[in-house]
Amino acid sequence: MINFDTTPIATLIDSEAYTYADMQMYVIIMVVLVVSMTIADLIHKGSKTYFDNSAAEAEALLAAGDANCSVGNEEGRLKQLSVGDKVGILANTLAVDIATAGEFTDPVRRLVHILTMYGFVLFNAATAMIIFSEESTVILAQVWNTGAILLFIGSFWYWFSFKVDSVSDAVPWTSVTLRKDSFSLALMATSVTAIGWSITNGGTGIWFALVIFSTASLFGGVYWSKFSHMFFKPVAGYNKRIIKANGTNENLPHEMRDSEWQQNRHSMELLKDAPMDMGLGIKREAPNHY
Amino acid sequence: MPTFVYMTRCDGCGHCVDICPSDIMHIDEKYRRAYNIEPNMCWECYSCVKACPHQAIDVRGYADFAPLGHSVRTIRDEEKGTIAWRVKFRDGRVKNFLSPITTQPWGTKIPNFRDEAEPSDEMRNSELLSFEPKYIRMDDGGLHTLESNKLSLKLGAQYHESH
Amino acid sequence: MKAIKTIVEDNIDILVVGAGLGGTGAAYEARYWGRNKKIVIAEKANINRSGAVAQGLYAINCYMGTRFGENNPEDHVRYARIDLMGIVREDLLFDMARHVDSSVHKFEEWGLPLMKDPKKENAEGLAKGAYMREGKWQIMIHGESYKPIVAEAATKQADKVYNRIMVTHLLMDDAQDNRVAGCVGFNVRTGNYHVFKSKTTIVGAGGASNIFKPRSVGEGAGRVWYAPWSSGSAYGLMIEAGAQMTQMENRIVLARFKDGYGPVGAYFLHLHTYTQNGYGEEYESKWFPELEEMVGKRYLDVAASHVSARPIPTCLRTSAIISEMNAGRGPIHMVTMEAFQDPHLEEVGWENFLGMTVGQAVLWAATDIDPKYINPELTTSEPYVMGSHATGCGAWCSGPEDISPEEYFWGYNRMTSVEGLFGAGDAVGGTPHAFSSGSFTEGRLAAKAACKYLDDGKGEGIVVSDKQIADRKDQIFRPLETYRIGRNEITAGTVAPGYILPMPGLQRLQKIMDEYCGGVTVSYMTNDKLLNMGMQKMSIMEEDLEKLGAEDIHQLMRAWELKHRHRTSECVFQHTFFRKETRWPGYYYRGDAMKLDDENWHVLTVSHRDRDTGDYTMSKAPCYHLVNDE
Repeated sequence: MINFDTTPIATLIDSEAYTYADMQMYVIIMVVLVVSMTIADLIHKGSKTYFDNSAAEAEALLAAGDANCSVGNEEGRLKQLSVGDKVGILANTLAVDIATAGEFTDPVRRLVHILTMYGFVLFNAATAMIIFSEESTVILAQVWNTGAILLFIGSFWYWFSFKVDSVSDAVPWTSVTLRKDSFSLALMATSVTAIGWSITNGGTGIWFALVIFSTASLFGGVYWSKFSHMFFKPVAGYNKRIIKANGTNENLPHEMRDSEWQQNRHSMELLKDAPMDMGLGIKREAPNHY
Repeated sequence: MPTFVYMTRCDGCGHCVDICPSDIMHIDEKYRRAYNIEPNMCWECYSCVKACPHQAIDVRGYADFAPLGHSVRTIRDEEKGTIAWRVKFRDGRVKNFLSPITTQPWGTKIPNFRDEAEPSDEMRNSELLSFEPKYIRMDDGGLHTLESNKLSLKLGAQYHESH
Repeated sequence: MKAIKTIVEDNIDILVVGAGLGGTGAAYEARYWGRNKKIVIAEKANINRSGAVAQGLYAINCYMGTRFGENNPEDHVRYARIDLMGIVREDLLFDMARHVDSSVHKFEEWGLPLMKDPKKENAEGLAKGAYMREGKWQIMIHGESYKPIVAEAATKQADKVYNRIMVTHLLMDDAQDNRVAGCVGFNVRTGNYHVFKSKTTIVGAGGASNIFKPRSVGEGAGRVWYAPWSSGSAYGLMIEAGAQMTQMENRIVLARFKDGYGPVGAYFLHLHTYTQNGYGEEYESKWFPELEEMVGKRYLDVAASHVSARPIPTCLRTSAIISEMNAGRGPIHMVTMEAFQDPHLEEVGWENFLGMTVGQAVLWAATDIDPKYINPELTTSEPYVMGSHATGCGAWCSGPEDISPEEYFWGYNRMTSVEGLFGAGDAVGGTPHAFSSGSFTEGRLAAKAACKYLDDGKGEGIVVSDKQIADRKDQIFRPLETYRIGRNEITAGTVAPGYILPMPGLQRLQKIMDEYCGGVTVSYMTNDKLLNMGMQKMSIMEEDLEKLGAEDIHQLMRAWELKHRHRTSECVFQHTFFRKETRWPGYYYRGDAMKLDDENWHVLTVSHRDRDTGDYTMSKAPCYHLVNDE
C-alpha cells in the first residue's frame, strides 16, 4: 500500500539515477510548455481579442444608457461600478468561482471539479516544493500522496459520471477520441501512474517511465487539449459578475414582479391575489436527459 | 433564428438537453457544454432558453433571412409566475414586456383522480366527461345533445347552409 | 454501438402515444374513468414542452362560452363547415364543441391565465366576467406555460411517463386480425429497444410539417409554421397499421407574416388590422367573382355576404392573396400602423408573438420592423397536413353514440377502423378548428371510450408473437447497420452509393411533394398527370428508404420521422388524386378539374392501405349536416 510519509521522488534521488537538478529542469520545461502553449493558444484562437472585445461591448452598452426603450420601463437598470465594487467582485470570483468551483450548479460536477482541481494543485505544488527545496519532508510527502489520490478520485469520477453521461446518445463509455478526451485521460493517467509509482516505492522502472509519459502528455498537450480553457474560467467568471452588477447583463430583461410599476402592467392584475412564491413547475425535477 | 450557447455561461447541467422538443441540444464532447446540433430543425421555441438556469442560451435569427445585431432575451421565473422579455432591435430600439405565466402555485390545483370518488354507473353510461355537466356552463344545466338543441343530421349538399 | 437491450412494458390498459395536447387530454381523463387501469405514456421528446404548443399560445381558438351566453355548439359546427367548404364530420365536431368548455374551465382552475374582458367585468346577467374575446371563437390567454400546466395534469394521473421514446410502429394482434396490441420504438438517449404491450392505444402524435418544400431552405427550414418535430407520426403509425384515413387531401396553406410565420389572428380580430397589396389597394373583392364562379354560390355569394356578414372561408382569402401576388401586385402587407399607435394594442401585438411564435419577434428585431412605422409583409406558406386547425386530415373515426348516424358509428367514440386504436387531436380526421382545447377534449373523449371498450371486455386474448417483436427490432435499427457497413465503401463524406441519410432523404420527399402535389414553387397547382408521376416517384423512394442510413441514434430518430412523413405523403397523393375537383382553392388547385363539384364530390374521402400489399383502396363516405328541426 501507499506509504504516506515518503514520496517516490525521494527513492529516485536515493537511487542516484537522477539529481535534483535534473528534476528541476524537467519541472521548468513543463512550466514553460504550459505557459507558452497557453499564450500560443490564446493568440492562435484569438481568445484574448474576443475577451477584450466583449469587455468593450459591455462598456459601450453601459454608456449607451436607457434612451431607446419605447415599451416598458428601464429606469434604474444601469449602474456605474466603482473601483471598490470591482475589487469586491474580483474577490468574490476568486473565492467562489475558483476556490469552490462555483460555476457549476450540479453539486456532483462541482464536487468532482473541486477534487480534481485541488488534487492537481496539491500534487503539483508538493512536487515543485520537494524538487526545488531539495528535500522531502513528511508533510510534503503526505500532501503529495493525498493530492494524487484526490486527483485519482476526481478524474475517474468525472470520466464515469460526465464523460459517459455526455455521450448518452447510445455510445458506449469506452468510446475515446484523443482530440476531445486528451485532457481528462492525461489527468487520469497522471494520477494512476503517480499512485502506482508510490505503491511500488518509486525509483526508476516502468512506473517512473509511465509517470514521465503521463505528465509530459498532460503539460505538453496544452495546445491541443482543453487545459488552457481552465485559465479562462476566472476571466469568464469575473466578467459574468461585472455585467450582472452593472445592469447591462447581456441584454437580459430586468423586469421583476416586485416593482409596483410592473405589477400594474397589462394582465398583471391576474396575479394580484397570487402569492409571490408560486413554487416550481418544470424546474422541480433535475434533468436526467430522458 | 436558431439557438446558440454562451461558452462562458454554460456549465453543462443538461436542462436544455432534457427539454428540447426537437432533440437538438446536446453536450459537446470536448467542453462538456451544450450546443445546437441541428439549427435547421430549430423552431426557436425558446424552451431551452427558458430552461437554462444560467441564461446561457440565446437566439440568433435564421441566417437565411435575419440580419445580425438583434437580441430577444427572456427570463422565465417560475417562482414569481412571470416571464419577462427584452427585445432589442438591430438599430438599438428596445421594448420590454412582462406577463403572468400561471395564476396558481404550480401543480397545486391539479387533482389526483386516484383520491377522488369513482364516477357512478349513470355517469359512465352517459356522454358526460369528468366534472361535467357542471364545468361546461358552470351551472346545473345538462349536456348539449341534438335533442336538447333541436337539431338533426341530414345527408346531402343541400343542407350546407350559412345559418 | 452499445449493445441494444430490449425493455418491455406489459399489461398496459391504456397506452398514449404522443403526449401533445391530444395525448395529455387522454392520459388525464383515462384515470378518471379507469381508477385501477394501467396508463402509460410514450413520448418522443419531453412531455413538459413537446408538441406544437411548446412555445406557448396567446389564444385558445376553440371556446364556445356557453356559460356567458355567447355561442352554442351547433354555431361552431356551422362555422367550421363553412370554412372547410362543407366537408367535415359534423357529428365529431358537435361532440367536441359541446365538451370543450369544460376543458377550458379546468385549464383556468389549474392556473392557465385567461384574460378577462374589462368591459364585461360588471355586465348584466350571463355575460358578467366573460373572457377577453379575440373573435367569435377565440379567447385571449397568456399561455407561455400552457404545455407545462396540462403536462402536469397528465403526468399526475399516469402510471408511467416514458420520455425520449421514438415510437416507430404499432404492434398488431397476431391472434385476431385488425386489432392493435401496443407499440414499439427506441429510446433516443440510451438506444434501447422498447416494447409496450397494451389492450388499447390512443394515438396523440403529430400531424405533418416539412413534407412539402418549405419557403426557407437553410437554417430557416426550422421556422415552419407547424412544429418541425411534427413528423406525421400520427398518420405514419396508423396508416401502417391499416387504419382508414380521411380527408388527407385537405392540406392547409396559411397566410402569415413573411418568413417568421407569426400569427395574424389577434391582429385581424383584436387589433382590427387589414391587408393591402403592394400598391396600397384593397384586393380581395377583385378576386371573389372569379372564385364564386369556381366554387358556386353555395360557398361564396359575394352579394349576400355583405348583408349576412357570413365569414369568407380561409382558403378563399388565401387564394385571393395567391392570385394577387401572381398578378404581380405584391407584396401583400398588413396595415398595422394605425392600430399600433395605441400603446395597449402595441403591447398586445408584441406579446402575441412572444407568447406563441417568438421567431417572428426575433425577425422584426433583426430587420428593424416596428409595426408602428412599417406595415409588415405577409406571405402564403408551404402546405401542411394536420387535423386540428383550419383543416381536417386524419384517421376515419367513430363518433359518439347519441349523435352519429350509422355510417359514422361503430361502437366507441374516436376509435379508428382498427379495433382498440383510438385517436386524439391531429390524429383524428374531419374535426377542423379543434385547436388546443379541442384536441385536449378529443383526448378526453377517446380516453373515456377506451375505458368503456375495456370494461365491455374487449381487448382480451391479445397475442404478440416473439417473431413480430424481433422483426420490428431488426427493422428499426437497420439504418444504423446500413450506414456502418455502407460507409466502408467511401473515403469520407456523406455521399455513398449504398445509403441515403435522413436530411437528403427529407429534401427529396419535399421536392416530390412540392413539384407534383401542389407546393409553393408551382403555386399550389397540380393535376392528374402530375399526381400520377408523383406517386411513381414516391414508390421508388419507398424502395430507397430501405437503404436509409443513420450515423447515430439522433439520426436514427430523424430516419424514422422521414419514414412516417413518407407514409403520410403517399396517402396525401392518393387522396389528392381521388378527389377530382378543386374544393379548396387557396389550399391547392386541380388543373384538370378547376371547379367545385358538389354533385359528385360532396363527400368525405376515405382510404385504406392494405398492410401486406401496400395497395390503396379509395372510397367516398357520405357527408351529413346539422339542420334545425322545424
